[in-house]
Amino acid sequence: MQIKKLKWKTDFEKSVIIENFVNRGWIKSQEKEEDSTDWNVYWATVWNVRNIFNPKNGMRLNDQQIINHFPNHYELTRKDCMVKNLKRFKREQDKEIYEQQGWNFDFLPTTYVFPGEYSLFVEEFHRCPNQTWIVKPAARSQGKGIFLLRKIQQLKKISGTTVTSNMTQLNLASKENYVVSKYIDNPLLIGGKKFDLRMYVLVTNYKPLKVWIYNKGFGRFCNEQYTTDVAEIENMFVHLTNVAIQQYSDKYSQKHGGKYSIDALKFYVESAYGTESFQKMMDDIHNIILTSLKSVQAVIQNDKHCFEMYGYDILLDANLKPWLIEINASPSLTTTTPVDKNLKLNLINDVYNIVLPNDDFPDNEQKQQQINKVGGFSVLYDESQDLINRKAQKRQSVKIWK
Amino acid sequence: MQQLDNQEILMKLKSSKQFWDIKKKIKQGFNEQQKIGVNDIQKFAQSCEVEDQLIKLISHILKKSKKRETIKEDQIEFLNTSKVKWTELLFKNLDIVHQKTKNQEEDDTNTDSKLYIYDEKNLLAFLQTLKQQQSSSLYQNVQFQSNKLLNINIPLKSSQSILDKYQYLLLQEELQDEKINKIRKQIENEHLDIELEKIAQNFVPNGERCLLYLKYFEFDHQETVIQQNFAKLQKECLIQLFYDELLEIDGHEISEDTFYFVFQEQILTCLKCFIRDKTIKENIRIQFQNGLKKENTEFQLPVTGFFPFKNISKYVAPLCYLSTKIHIIYALFKEFFCRYFCFLHSISSESNSILSLCMQIEEIVSTRSPKLFHHLKVIGCDTLKLIIHQLVYCFIGDMDPPHILSIYDQIIGHDSLEILVILCVGFLNKYKPKLLLAKNGENIQQIFSELREDKFQELVQFAYKQ
Repeated sequence: MQIKKLKWKTDFEKSVIIENFVNRGWIKSQEKEEDSTDWNVYWATVWNVRNIFNPKNGMRLNDQQIINHFPNHYELTRKDCMVKNLKRFKREQDKEIYEQQGWNFDFLPTTYVFPGEYSLFVEEFHRCPNQTWIVKPAARSQGKGIFLLRKIQQLKKISGTTVTSNMTQLNLASKENYVVSKYIDNPLLIGGKKFDLRMYVLVTNYKPLKVWIYNKGFGRFCNEQYTTDVAEIENMFVHLTNVAIQQYSDKYSQKHGGKYSIDALKFYVESAYGTESFQKMMDDIHNIILTSLKSVQAVIQNDKHCFEMYGYDILLDANLKPWLIEINASPSLTTTTPVDKNLKLNLINDVYNIVLPNDDFPDNEQKQQQINKVGGFSVLYDESQDLINRKAQKRQSVKIWK
Repeated sequence: MQQLDNQEILMKLKSSKQFWDIKKKIKQGFNEQQKIGVNDIQKFAQSCEVEDQLIKLISHILKKSKKRETIKEDQIEFLNTSKVKWTELLFKNLDIVHQKTKNQEEDDTNTDSKLYIYDEKNLLAFLQTLKQQQSSSLYQNVQFQSNKLLNINIPLKSSQSILDKYQYLLLQEELQDEKINKIRKQIENEHLDIELEKIAQNFVPNGERCLLYLKYFEFDHQETVIQQNFAKLQKECLIQLFYDELLEIDGHEISEDTFYFVFQEQILTCLKCFIRDKTIKENIRIQFQNGLKKENTEFQLPVTGFFPFKNISKYVAPLCYLSTKIHIIYALFKEFFCRYFCFLHSISSESNSILSLCMQIEEIVSTRSPKLFHHLKVIGCDTLKLIIHQLVYCFIGDMDPPHILSIYDQIIGHDSLEILVILCVGFLNKYKPKLLLAKNGENIQQIFSELREDKFQELVQFAYKQ
């Protein structure tokens, strides 16, 4: 049987993407133009995906083409859109029915979108005078533009003008939105340091929703001991876990890059808090992933040429309760350590194995097959299964982490 | 040794949960009976094993009441003089290290990293130099084998007895949730160390390991005391000692480890407290450096009675997984060190000593894998030199934490370090095919520099393969 050689294209000069293409013997698309269509598999930037799906450009993908973003992924991955969709979804759901099914919405810290919800924020700010808030640009990444807020006057950073506590409106200096959330000031600490979790989730279809979760995420640690001391509120090495920030710390290590495997975290939580604690924690994380995806299910353009691998950022508090921080459409594929490279190489390899089984586009029969595990990915949720099987899926999901 | 009278034994019995369980069982056995004689109770106790349980409980109380004395002198005089020589060597090393640190303070570009008093290679090299000056009449039947690295006549257990003792590990299977829950309940209810040892030998659920260890060391109702003692030690750490600097340098390696880097500060805090802890000297099972005061030296031994050595941080690291409370981590580390790890640095004929363990390993490998043993000798890489690091540091850094804690379980399970013999033999057998192809030391280094993942159960399996 002749092995088909697919044509690949990528906007990212990342070894984990390219090596995976090359190892499969696929051929690089020779067309240099950004809008070239001579490819089967395209690992694209979000902007190029937007261009491709822009009706004005008149581009139509054929049945032998697959791309790594949904056209309007930003409904999930822009911080302001994510918050808006989750709040809307929550309002629409009958809470009792949702909770009976085992879901809950209690994973998003109280959040306001600026400038629109500024007055609501001010009300809450005055109600909670000792609360620290975290301010983030809605559409930036890598910790850029983030700061902690204790006084309203600090908003001068984003408004460009003096801000007082009796103002009911906020004019932002730039056109971008901001999200302002209650800062989780009691994070789970290991060794006295704050960390967050990066989990990888693959969505191959939104309608019906099919979600895969990867069994090898990692914790990203701060280099400095955590403190709520006001004097250290601007010390980003204490509060922000982004590798892009921590790599500038004197204590940053090239050997481990501040990354702590989820296997190690699992062992720690089980040993220090009890076996059931880890399972409950992962159950709650699965709830976050599924509820957030369901919240955009109705609005995402479910194009058959698309799949998307998300990087979920989850913060655990001191009670092992997970909180959703953000969802990344283009999680970093830069590798900082050999272990990191191994993880991401296998991750991308497994993604291709799912979306292009046997290195080819799946036929109808293959699409019907109910495969629940491919490499490190396991099906977390498959809406195409009947309800009974979906409940069984939910119970099975903790076995992914055994 | 402290002797308990009957009243004291009764008081200790009454403070044990098991005593009250036994009493309840006897009461239930007689229900509403009005007149119960001593004979009735005896018969009942014998029939339902209550008598056995009571005997075990009383034996346990008597055993615990005997304070274990620190072994200061070995039965073989030659080893006592060797220990003195070793300590003198370490004092000299300390002076060298002190000078190096002074030089580094004066010259930033001087990055000599050998800032430790001794490491496992130094220890093995010293053991190699030991030659008994007089033959001991006790061990005349021990054959002197010149092909071994260590040639000292000390009483050794038979290799077969060690292999037989741990053979049950080959049959260990993954347990169902139901069985795991049963073991959990057992750990919660058990207090006798022999029962806890049995559990540790077989399987310890991750979530119950800390409790098992605390119970075994009898710390489970002493958290307040532990916390207070630790707090006192932390206050003492405000006064800097020269050894603190060595501990900080030692911590650099652990700070690069992907499993332990998160605990770097906790590890350092534990060690700084450890070298100031005056109770170590009376609790440690073996004095492994001779604590004589030296004249005209700037530094004496720390109050523990021994110098900190390279990679001491490794012994603390895996215990950081067991608790979020640093005083608990410290208490566990102190107990493990005083009971077990001290032997890994002791020049002694005791069965847990580094000397005995090394000789056991050589014995097993030379008889069960003679081709490998001989090949390594020919290419100038002795068996012991290959495994000394894994042996002295209990495979920490070579295996993931869950596997290391399985080793710790077995150490408690048998109150012995012999599991390390099994694992070292298994380690050599695992890499035997590659080792047999190696032509020199560089080839050997190449084999072990490749990314590898050694696992507890896997090495046990390899230990029994020939």
